[in-house]
Amino acid sequence: MTLEIVYHDDYLLHEHSPTHPERRERLMYTMDQMQEEGVFDLDMVELVEPEAASEEALARVHTPDYLDRLKEMSMRGGGSLSGDTHVSEHTWHQSRLAAGGVVRGCRDVVEDSCESSFVMARPGGHHAFADRGHGFCFTNNTAVAVREIQESYDEVDRVLVWDWDAHHFDGTQEIFYSDPSVLTMSVHQTGRTLFPGTGYVDEVGEDEGEGFNVNVPVLPKTGDSGYLRVVEEVFEPVAREYDPDLVFVEAGQDCHFTDPITDLGVTADGYRRMMERAVDLAEDVSGGDLVASLCGGYGIEGGLPYTNLAVVASMAGLDTSNIREPAVYQPPQRQPDVDDVVAKVKSTHDEYWNL
Amino acid sequence: MIVGVDAGGTNVDAAVVGEDGVQETAKLPAEDVSATVLRDLFREISDGYTVDRVVVSTTRVLNRIVQDRLPSCSSVLVPGVGLAVEHAFAADDNQVVRGCIDHRGRVTESPVVDAEPRHPVVAVTAKFSPRNPSVEEEVAEELEADVVALGHEAGGRLDFPGRAATTAANARSKPAFQEFREAVASATEDLSFNAPVYVLRGDGSMVGEGKASDAPASTTRSGPASSSVGLLALSGERDAVCVDVGGTTTDVTPAVDGYPLTREGYEHDGFSTFYEGVSSGDLPLGGDTRVTEDGLARRREDYAAAFGGEAPAFTDALNVLGAGVGDTDASETAFADAGLSEADAETVVEEYVAELSDAVESAVEEAEGSPEVAVFGGALAGCLSSRLEEEVDLDVVVPEHADVCGAVGCAAAKVSVRTEVHVDSPRGRMTVSSVGSRSKSVEKGRRYSGEELHDVVVEETVEETKAAGGDAGVEDVEVLDVRRFNVVEDGKVEGEIADAVARVKPGIRWL
Repeated sequence: MTLEIVYHDDYLLHEHSPTHPERRERLMYTMDQMQEEGVFDLDMVELVEPEAASEEALARVHTPDYLDRLKEMSMRGGGSLSGDTHVSEHTWHQSRLAAGGVVRGCRDVVEDSCESSFVMARPGGHHAFADRGHGFCFTNNTAVAVREIQESYDEVDRVLVWDWDAHHFDGTQEIFYSDPSVLTMSVHQTGRTLFPGTGYVDEVGEDEGEGFNVNVPVLPKTGDSGYLRVVEEVFEPVAREYDPDLVFVEAGQDCHFTDPITDLGVTADGYRRMMERAVDLAEDVSGGDLVASLCGGYGIEGGLPYTNLAVVASMAGLDTSNIREPAVYQPPQRQPDVDDVVAKVKSTHDEYWNL
Repeated sequence: MIVGVDAGGTNVDAAVVGEDGVQETAKLPAEDVSATVLRDLFREISDGYTVDRVVVSTTRVLNRIVQDRLPSCSSVLVPGVGLAVEHAFAADDNQVVRGCIDHRGRVTESPVVDAEPRHPVVAVTAKFSPRNPSVEEEVAEELEADVVALGHEAGGRLDFPGRAATTAANARSKPAFQEFREAVASATEDLSFNAPVYVLRGDGSMVGEGKASDAPASTTRSGPASSSVGLLALSGERDAVCVDVGGTTTDVTPAVDGYPLTREGYEHDGFSTFYEGVSSGDLPLGGDTRVTEDGLARRREDYAAAFGGEAPAFTDALNVLGAGVGDTDASETAFADAGLSEADAETVVEEYVAELSDAVESAVEEAEGSPEVAVFGGALAGCLSSRLEEEVDLDVVVPEHADVCGAVGCAAAKVSVRTEVHVDSPRGRMTVSSVGSRSKSVEKGRRYSGEELHDVVVEETVEETKAAGGDAGVEDVEVLDVRRFNVVEDGKVEGEIADAVARVKPGIRWL
């Protein structure tokens, strides 16, 4: 199994502010871990450097006004899109490079130069709308890549976007809300307790896209078993019925129990199991075509190095039995079940899917 | 004066070199370089000179690898959490010890040493040990072993499987290297040299013998390293293909901009390291290569007849054609006794030159076409240079003293260590890794400006160079990378983590 890891040193340039959770060391600690593990020396792993996405590719998703504003603000040396989303001199370049990384990963998978791809980019993109950004996101990297791939390859009609970031993917949802060619599914900490406050079960898509947006908001502290149940009872049956040509995972690693800005209970082993399910699903529905892109994840020391390694090792088909957090980190003992939300999703989506 | 000694597989060469160039040279046939051989050699060349430094290159470790004579080793691993430990299995006995160091060098799980190594030669390697050497030291103390190599002494690079393999290679190389070190020490003491001893590494740089003893597997490519450095120093060429014809092999090494090209890693039949070494192509052909009626036998059995062997070898073929090396009568007799003719001699020499010219052309390609000269060394260089020149699109030069180019290369080497500094200021710790790793305290919570960090890595590189026996000044240090980030705990900046890499640029004395 060959896995491509897409990474660029310039992903370390952009900073919101010195104490902001979305900092460059999110990637640096992970790179240290991967280097020490010898991941990049493995025969089945290839490290590649992306190019920036073209302005044409960005313009398929974002409005000209927004792109001009973002570019100008960055060129000017900085500004803010919202209280916690700061633009720096590097933001324009780095956002294009992040989108370009996701495009690269998707292209290489579709063209079979690798079997799967993990894009380790920042900033993330799933809170970016067509005409605005917030939630640490500027360009919707996933949407840019999906549109580019659908435009470039006749064989890719339907794409599944499976977002397991702790935060609801409000930007991605809105961009594809009326589009049945992209099935968007998110499991996230309920918007009642976490930014951005959206992502309820009854947000199912509209017009032709009605039924093609699936939200599963879970309670704080939900852990591995709850997440796995959502995968088994909701995502897998819907995905199999949809039968996509490409499986795309928005791999937010902020469901980890050490994450400082969320309140969930997933472990590195939970991430490993979720990614194994995604790999199996892709084998069944899309001929193995699978792209994952790092989204959130702010448990910089106790979470990201281990969750990212778990995800990468699962995608590469490596032995994952020793991947866990060091014993100094312990997950919460009591975790809520997901009975209520799974039941609600099933009844809401009953008219669209065989659940 | 500097005494350079190149102990190859079949000969040991020596040279006394000073600011005015090569003063004395000597060559002795010796398959095993003992204290007696070295003493004789030193006595022959050093009389009347004040010796400031002795630099040695040895193929002893390499020879033992090739002859499969290195001892077996038990590799004790502390993998902590992560990928399956089998990725780091590099010995025929691998044992796993519980315990964990994280990426910041914190011990997140204490080691529990319940390993019982099967062999008296032991390698101990922990994941992230360059960030915290204490776990390896603690584990080693609890093991019973005659010879121990530690992972953090192998080098500072983050690569646990590579470090485990390199540490096992160091452990297995230690006894052979130690024998050689003792022979050198005995010979220099007998002659009251009172001069420090340095060892040439496979990348053409030298290091103090103490540091070399921690990582003797780094000498595995020192044969082609010493000859190529020597040939550049002797010829004054900066872009060239260096060719050294030895007894057993011929080394072909491209050099660009005044230094041999290097590549990372060495591997032979389960012995593997991540050390840089000169990028040489080694033909399994040399002066002692046996000649039979089928041509070059691609193996060495003994010295050529011209130097006391029984059977005809490549040197004897050259003598049959009039080269005049050593005892030419013995060459002719051996050839005749084996039923070989002058035509057979011509055939094997043509065969050799054809293979050599292919190797030279590959080296030119590797150097992206920049060399316009081949610098030819070894005792047979003079007899072969015109034939090589006919076959390749390069000028071929044989500099004076080319027969002892390896010994001159040792004398011309400099100390060059790549130094990596990792600062974790919230923990108040700095680790400095070059040849081995060491930790020191820094002010807790300290934040560095770019300039301060630059100064720190330059200072530490100078320090490491001194510890390795060099004498670099601040102006010799080249900073390769500086990066840092804040450590934020509970919404506050508690300090920073900084990484910086620098080196003393590799170079050649007198070039």
